[in-house]
Amino acid sequence: MAINSVSQMNQTLKNYDVSNWTRNIELKDDFDFRGQFSELSESSRSTKSFGDFLADSIGKVNQLQQNANVAMERVASGESKNLHETLLAIEKADLAFRQMNQIRMKVIDAYKEIMKMQM
Amino acid sequence: MDLLKSMKISASGMRANLKRTEVINSNIANAQTTRTAEGGPYRRKQAVFGSEPARDSFSEILEGEIDAHAQSVHVTEVVEDTKPPILKYDPHHPDANKDGYVAMPNINTMIEMADLLQAQRAYEANLKTLNVTKGMAQKALEIGR
Amino acid sequence: MDINDKTLKALASAVKFREMRQEVISSNIANAETPGFKAKRLDFEEALARALDVDGQLTMKVNDPKHFDVGNGGFNNLKPEVYEDPNGVVSENGNTVDIQDEMAREAENKLMYDALIQMINKKLGMKKYILNSEK
Repeated sequence: MAINSVSQMNQTLKNYDVSNWTRNIELKDDFDFRGQFSELSESSRSTKSFGDFLADSIGKVNQLQQNANVAMERVASGESKNLHETLLAIEKADLAFRQMNQIRMKVIDAYKEIMKMQM
Repeated sequence: MDLLKSMKISASGMRANLKRTEVINSNIANAQTTRTAEGGPYRRKQAVFGSEPARDSFSEILEGEIDAHAQSVHVTEVVEDTKPPILKYDPHHPDANKDGYVAMPNINTMIEMADLLQAQRAYEANLKTLNVTKGMAQKALEIGR
Repeated sequence: MDINDKTLKALASAVKFREMRQEVISSNIANAETPGFKAKRLDFEEALARALDVDGQLTMKVNDPKHFDVGNGGFNNLKPEVYEDPNGVVSENGNTVDIQDEMAREAENKLMYDALIQMINKKLGMKKYILNSEK
């Protein structure tokens, strides 16, 4: 409804009572924000620390290296002629190790940064 | 070290087959020769191969180390055919005997051609092997590059 | 990744054995027409597999650095087995070499040799990377 005169403006304002605009919304009990986001809820909060996470990753990288080593030994002894799988395993171990090294350097940089902070 | 020995063995194979090719070429060229320096018609020649342990250095020969698993090859001797020559009736030939027969070398050109092909293939096989060995040595040089 | 890298030693041993095998194959091909020559074979796979297994299962745990590492020395004493092929088809001059067979063996040997060299390079490259990234 276009507003062309003051009377129309008053009519519009009466239709929409100002008090209606600011009405308290009561939080319903079952609309619990905390339940909607699992990261915030107490029960599913992870018990692993970042240190544990790192240790796990290092274990996985080591496992990949072991796999690559075993594959290479099997090629050396002629037991396996599966060259493409072996080379793939080597690449995986390679990439995982390089990635871990990058993370290590970043963690060290972050640590140094923190230590530089003067208290 | 081992690869160099392999190359020497392949080289010996090439050399032996080259010598064999020479002998076969001589046979083909002299298929009609009725006069030779020793008198009589040309006699068919054959190269006989023999293997011998591939020795790397003089010190190895001195110590008498026989590495029996790697044998190089060489032409031990060139044997002349002992079969009697073929007598062909040709009374107008300058070398005909009183009955009009000429003693011709018993060389069958077809057989010689087949032998020639075989010698060539053997030469190529040795050459290919030499190249493979060379490739292995070059790969080994790439370690750590 | 330690200095006593069992895998690297296994790869190096395999490379050496394949070079020796190339010798035997060259010898067979060169003597393909030599009368009386019997084709030879060189086997190393079993010996190498046994050395690898022994190192994995029966190696003694070394707690004291003064103790010798008993397992890894096994790679230096490996000897290949060289023998005349018993299944050779004897031709009329006593020769048992089949050139096609030898060429096929040579091709496989070269392929595996190249693969082994590539793996050695990868391992060495990794060690170099570790050394270079120390800050």
